[in-house]
Amino acid sequence: MESSGTPNHMIDLSSSAAEFNRPLLLTPGEDLKGYILGHVGRWSLFTITSASVLAVLLIFIFVIREALPFLTQFSLTEFLTSTRWYPEGTPHEFGALALISGSLYVTLGALILAVPLGLSAAVFLSDIAPFKVQQICKPIIEILAAIPSVAYGFFAILVLAPWMQKNLHFSTGANTLNAAVILAIMALPTIISVAEDSLSAIGRDIREASYGLGATRAETMLKVVIPEAHSGIIAAVILGMMRAIGETMVVWMASGNATQIPSPWWDLSQSVRTMTATIAGDMGETPKGSDHYHALYAIGFLLLIFTFSLNLVSEYFLSRVRKAKGR
Amino acid sequence: MKIGYRQAFDKTFTITAGLSVFLMVMALVIILGPMLSRGSKAVFFRGTVEFRKMQLAIFNHGSSDQVQAETARVEKAREPVYELLENFQIGIDVELLTDKTREIYRELGQQLRQMDVDRETYAAIRAKAKDIRDTLSDILESTDKDYVNQGIEVILKLSDDPDFKNTVAEQFFPLARMYGENVKNIDLTQRDQYIAALEEVKDALRKLFGPLPGESTPPMPKDRYGATRWDTAQQSLHQLLWAQAWVETKPGESLEKISVRRDDPQKGQFAGTSLEPLFSLVENNLDDMLQPEFTIYWRYFLDDWVNSHYFGGVGSEIIGTLLLTLLSMMFAVPLGVISAAYLVECADENMVVKIIRTCVNTLAGVPSIVFGLFGLAFFVLFLFPRLNMPSKPCILSAALTLSILVLPVIIRASEEAIKSVPQTYKEASLSLGAGRFRTFVTVTLPAALPGILTGIILSLGRAAGETAPILFTGAVAMGPQPKSLFDGVKTLSYSSLDIATGDRLAMMAPHKQYGVIMTLIILVLCLNILAIIIRWRVAKKLRGY
Repeated sequence: MESSGTPNHMIDLSSSAAEFNRPLLLTPGEDLKGYILGHVGRWSLFTITSASVLAVLLIFIFVIREALPFLTQFSLTEFLTSTRWYPEGTPHEFGALALISGSLYVTLGALILAVPLGLSAAVFLSDIAPFKVQQICKPIIEILAAIPSVAYGFFAILVLAPWMQKNLHFSTGANTLNAAVILAIMALPTIISVAEDSLSAIGRDIREASYGLGATRAETMLKVVIPEAHSGIIAAVILGMMRAIGETMVVWMASGNATQIPSPWWDLSQSVRTMTATIAGDMGETPKGSDHYHALYAIGFLLLIFTFSLNLVSEYFLSRVRKAKGR
Repeated sequence: MKIGYRQAFDKTFTITAGLSVFLMVMALVIILGPMLSRGSKAVFFRGTVEFRKMQLAIFNHGSSDQVQAETARVEKAREPVYELLENFQIGIDVELLTDKTREIYRELGQQLRQMDVDRETYAAIRAKAKDIRDTLSDILESTDKDYVNQGIEVILKLSDDPDFKNTVAEQFFPLARMYGENVKNIDLTQRDQYIAALEEVKDALRKLFGPLPGESTPPMPKDRYGATRWDTAQQSLHQLLWAQAWVETKPGESLEKISVRRDDPQKGQFAGTSLEPLFSLVENNLDDMLQPEFTIYWRYFLDDWVNSHYFGGVGSEIIGTLLLTLLSMMFAVPLGVISAAYLVECADENMVVKIIRTCVNTLAGVPSIVFGLFGLAFFVLFLFPRLNMPSKPCILSAALTLSILVLPVIIRASEEAIKSVPQTYKEASLSLGAGRFRTFVTVTLPAALPGILTGIILSLGRAAGETAPILFTGAVAMGPQPKSLFDGVKTLSYSSLDIATGDRLAMMAPHKQYGVIMTLIILVLCLNILAIIIRWRVAKKLRGY
């Protein structure tokens, strides 16, 4: 290997020579010390690095620990299939299906809006936009991602909800559509940046081959580049979905918090309640150690499983992108 | 033909793609626009004299001489309004008058006893006074105008009676005279409606100018002052001037609810009464009565709030947010940077490192509310009791929870920064005989520092904005500043939530609602823009020009 820098000024030898009066060869003792120190340092660094592993383990252990009393006492099938969520009623009923469906409603609603939009924005940024426009758009995407979720929720409930009630004549402004629109905007930055990365990872050669055959840009993108980049795009969609399903503040503030499955199923103007919103809303009023408290941890555990498996799937697709890049 | 079709499709595709980016930018503008513009009204607005009075009394800001002079001027301007109100009230609010009559009668008895008159005169005067009292009470109750006028005439005939000279009873006559004047223009059968409408007017006046003269100081600070801002003053003025009324717009059809000016000559509630001039008086002289001035309330970012954000600023929330985020950074930064250094410099791509990477990614994907659950279960309920610390949500547990949340952000950013240091730097250092550790500390780390700093700044913004993890681990809506690590903390993010959904008082002051969220957004945006600038400069430096 060669160094690329060339010294552009002379080193003053007379002053720095004093520092080099030690013998260059190390004594065996010094050698050993260096070896031991190196290994001790390495291991202590490794221990510190394992903190993230420890954190993940602790999160799983403690969420499961608090959820366990619920999972052993109540039937899991009822938890997953019943829509009757009456934690304070007598007897307690913990049917989380309406909550799960609420989460799915807002998440899928958000994806339906965000995926086409995010994908075409990614195409624009990777292949169409001139360099200057890219330089402007990237910070904008970053800012969109950086706005706190509580600010999005604030907008949803105080600006968008009254607007919807007035102009779309919905019975309530806090509804599925409201939450889905805001979640879509929140998921956009994730989807755009991951999809754009994977589109850029597809080399020029493939594009040029397509252009060389006479294809237009639209044809090149739709028939060659996007199919080639599909694993990255799938990862983008999954990451966007994770952002949407785990989001708390926006859905808590904007979805209306009514434990129900909308009927008819396509009526997005009705309120729903998501898993995250249930945890956030109920935990404050629940005594520690009650059935309700443990049930909320069970919901949290369910969320954790959802996001963990989604994360593994996205990891798989992202590793395929990385492999394709390294090819 | 086929080619034309394909080209048209290509054009459509390009336009659609461009449009989606445009939509995204529009979304940013639409979301930030209203919140920033409405929030800025908390800082830039036309403040009235009431605002300056409030600032002086609650926060001790501003010069007291100036405010006193202003108050005197304003009170002079308001005087006629209160006079009109009082005169009218006497005609309407008969309970007050009845009480007064009884009191005069009672006082007369006491006075006579002290004056040492003989029994017979005493009885005669008492009897005459009793007559007057009863007549007065009668006409006050009556809704028949003729009866009232006759009664007043009867009473006034007695005004020359020498028996009443120099006694309290003389007060009966001005009272009767005033009442006679007042009822001239009033439809006495609608007295109840007048009373209700008068209450509305008084309420609006209280909102405009603060408590009416003679009223005791209200317990809530928000009621102690009138309209502190010109825009709320306009709203209260509207409330003062306009009444909702059911009016028959077309004969034969059902009544319609419309707004009618209270002093409207035909339909107004107070048309033709002695209160009528009050409305135009207030409307035309509101400037003099409130003395609005353009105010930049920069202390909004320093002042503590009063009365659930009705007055004051977000100073305590800003301090709480800074305390919390800096504390969480103290845990997360060393951990994150060292982890990144290990992952880049020491680790070979073996199974263990793969697991670590997966864990970092998992951590980044865990929903924020689950962090909250974890923080509650682990720090608050498990760890603290075992370390003999109080087992309650506090700033320490919130900071620890947040530090785990931002750990992956810092690790990823630092990793990127360390990776982006050119290999040649390290090789130059290694070739000079420096060890790997020394190379890292003296060469790689300084070169990567701006990048790491970017990551830290971004995660500061993230930590400042997160609400869900601190919901159960230490955020409080009100309370004093944390004095130790085991107190709750007020933050901008949690206050935004509270003020948007839970706080009824704050709903009456929308500028304050938006002010809190504006402060949070500005804080996060500034951090992000700072990060973008640093990154841009680093990129320029690494490119070599």
